[in-house]
Amino acid sequence: MKIKKDEVIWLLIFIAPAIGLFFLFFILPILFLFITSFTNWDGISAEFVGFENYVKLFNKKTFIRAITNNLYWCLTAAIITVPLALIIALLLAHRSRGWKVFRTVLFIPQVVSSAAIAMLWAAMFNSEYGLVNFLLDYIGFSDYQNHNWLGNVRTANAALIGFSLCYVGYFMVIMLAKTASISDDYYDAANIDGASQFQKDVHITAPLIKSTFFLCIILAVIFNLRQFEYVYLMTAGGPANKTQVLVVYIWNELSVQRLGRGNAAGVIMIGIGALLLLTLRKLLKSETYN
Amino acid sequence: MIKSILKLFSVAFISVSLTIISTVASAEITINWPSIWVGKDSKTTVIRELVDEFNAANSGAIKVVIEEQTDYDIYAQKLTAQISTGDLPDVFTVGSDLLDILYRSGKAMDLAPHVNSDSHWNNVYPENALQSNMMGGQLTNLPYELFVTPVTYNKKLLKDAGYDEFPDNYDDFFKMCEAVTATGKVCTSQMTGKNAWTSMLWYSQALASAGGPDVYGKGLDHPAFVKAFEVMEKMYKYTTSDAIGADAGVSGGHFLNERTAVFMNGPWFIARYTSDGIPGLHENIGVAPAPMLSGGEGSPGGYVGGKQSSLAAGKQSDPAKEEAVVKFLKWLTTPENVARLSFSSGAMFIVKADLPSDMDRLFQEMNEQKGNAPYVAPIFINGIGSLPVAKEFSQALSALALGDVTPEGAVEMLKDAE
Repeated sequence: MKIKKDEVIWLLIFIAPAIGLFFLFFILPILFLFITSFTNWDGISAEFVGFENYVKLFNKKTFIRAITNNLYWCLTAAIITVPLALIIALLLAHRSRGWKVFRTVLFIPQVVSSAAIAMLWAAMFNSEYGLVNFLLDYIGFSDYQNHNWLGNVRTANAALIGFSLCYVGYFMVIMLAKTASISDDYYDAANIDGASQFQKDVHITAPLIKSTFFLCIILAVIFNLRQFEYVYLMTAGGPANKTQVLVVYIWNELSVQRLGRGNAAGVIMIGIGALLLLTLRKLLKSETYN
Repeated sequence: MIKSILKLFSVAFISVSLTIISTVASAEITINWPSIWVGKDSKTTVIRELVDEFNAANSGAIKVVIEEQTDYDIYAQKLTAQISTGDLPDVFTVGSDLLDILYRSGKAMDLAPHVNSDSHWNNVYPENALQSNMMGGQLTNLPYELFVTPVTYNKKLLKDAGYDEFPDNYDDFFKMCEAVTATGKVCTSQMTGKNAWTSMLWYSQALASAGGPDVYGKGLDHPAFVKAFEVMEKMYKYTTSDAIGADAGVSGGHFLNERTAVFMNGPWFIARYTSDGIPGLHENIGVAPAPMLSGGEGSPGGYVGGKQSSLAAGKQSDPAKEEAVVKFLKWLTTPENVARLSFSSGAMFIVKADLPSDMDRLFQEMNEQKGNAPYVAPIFINGIGSLPVAKEFSQALSALALGDVTPEGAVEMLKDAE
C-alpha cells in the first residue's frame, strides 16, 4: 500500500507519542547506561575511567560464571523446556478427556507470584524438612537424606534449572492456541489415508506450528537471559557463586554502590542478548517465525 | 434564572468549603517512617506503642506513619538506592556501613543545629557520643541501638554432652562439639544466606581473637583473616545440613527449637527465646564470651559489637516538617522510652536510660560481660570498610564450607571482590 504525502504528516503525528515514549524510557536509559559504564559512578560522584570496568569484569571468575550459567539457562530452555511444551501441546491438542484440567494445571505457575513459587521450592528443597528429600527417602534413595540441594555446588544449578521446568505451561499454551488454527481439512485427508494419531502429530500438526515453536524458543531464551527472581530468592547466586547469573551479578554490583561497573555488566548483557537473538534468527531462519 | 444562579452559588459554596476543609485537614504533617522494627522483631510492640502515643499527643498536627519493612537486607538495599537518588524517607534507621554515603549524598537532615539549640540530646547521650558521629561538621545521624554478640548456649544440651562450663578456647570448643554431636544434637547454628549474619559474627569473634581488636586496620593480608576462616571451616563440620544457603530465620530457628546447642546473635534476640523458643528454653540459656585462639593477638573476654542502627532523617524544605521530624526523634530518644524499648526487647541503646532492676537475666549477663570486656571489636561487615568485600563474605564462606576453596582461597575471594 502506498502512503500519500498528506497522510505522512498524520502518520508522524500519530506515531510521535509512541516514539517519544520509546526514546524517553528505552533509548535514553540505554544511552545513560552506556555512558556511565565508562565511569566509577557510586551514586554520589563519578569519574571517567575508560574501559577499566569492562577489563575488570572480564577478569572476574564470578562474572564469567554468571554468563556461562545464563547460557545454560537459555540452552535448557531451548532444548528441554520448549520441546517438552511442544510434546504436551501436541498431546493436549487431541482434546482428550480432561485436557482442560491439564492445561489449567500446567498454566497455574504463570499466574502465581514467582516470589511465592521460589520460596515454596526453596522449602521443598530444604535438607532438614523438605518434601524432595522426604520423597526420595520414601522411595528408597536414603543417600539423599539431608542432602542440601540448593547448598551443594554439584546440585544447586541443576535444582534451580530443573525447577524452571514448571514454566513449561506458558509455551504449551502458546503452541496449543496455534494448533486450534489448523484447518480440519488436513486431518480429514490424513484420516482418509489411514494415518495414525502419531503420524498426524508428526507430519501435520508439528510442521504447521513450527513458526510458533521457534517463536517460543526465542521467548524462552530472552526470559532466561533475564533470569533473576528465582536465583536471587533461592540461592542469591550461591553457594560459592556457583549459581550466579548476569542480572543477580548486576544487582550485587549496584547494591554495593559500584553503579558504573554494574552498568558495564548491563551493557555486556545487552550485547550478549543481541548476539543470541541474531544467532537464533540466523539458525531458525527469520521467515519461519515472522 | 434565579434558580440557576442559586444552584451555581450553592455548588461554588460547597466547593470552597470542601477546599477549606481539605486544606485544614492537610495541615497535619505526615512523617513517613519505613521501619524495620515490625513483624517478628522484638521491638515491634513498643515501637508501635510509641508511635501511637506520639500521634495521640500530636493529634491533628503530626502523624507518624510506619511503612513496614520486614526484611532487613531488602530494606538496606532500598535505602542504598534512596540515598543515591536523594529520595530519602522522612525518618529512617541506617546501619553503620551506609553512614559515609549518607553523609556524602548531602540529602540527610543535619541535626547539629538542633543539638546545639536544645539541651535534650546533649543530656540523653553520653559525652562525645554525638561528636564522634559528626562528619564535616554535620550530624546526619543519631547513634541509637548498639549491640554486642556473645555466645549463647543451651546449658541443658551441653550438660548432656558432659559440659557444665562453656569452653574458653577453640581446642576445647571443638572437643565439646564432638561430644554434643555424640548426643545426637548439632553443635552450632550457622548460615551463609544473605549476609551470613550469625556465621559472620563467629568469624568476627575469631578474627578479633586472632588479630586483635584493630585487625581491620592491618588489611586482608594479615594472617588473622586466614586463621579465622580456619575456625569457620571446622565450625561447619558441626552444624546443620541446611546451613549453606540458610538465612537468619533458619539459623535462629534451630537454636530456638533446641536442635543446636550454640548460637550467636545480639541482645535483641533475647525476647525471642521466650516468645519463639520451645518452653523452658530461656531458663536453659547461658551467655559467654567467644572462645580464644591460642597464640592470637586478642584478649580473653573480648567482645565484638558496635553500633547497630542509627536514627536519621531526610532533608526537609518545609521548616515546620523539619521541626515535626526533630520532635519525633526526640520522642524516640527520651530515656523513658528507650528504657521501655530495652526492657521489652533486650536490645541495648546508646541513650542513657534508667533500666529497671528486673531487666532480663541474659541482658544483665551480657551487659556485665561487656563491661568487663577488654575491648569491643567491630563486626566484620562494619570493620572491613568495604561494601563489596562485606557482600562477598557469604559466598567465600559457602565456598569454604563446601571445600571449594581453602581458608587462603576464601581470603583471596574477599580480596578479589575489592
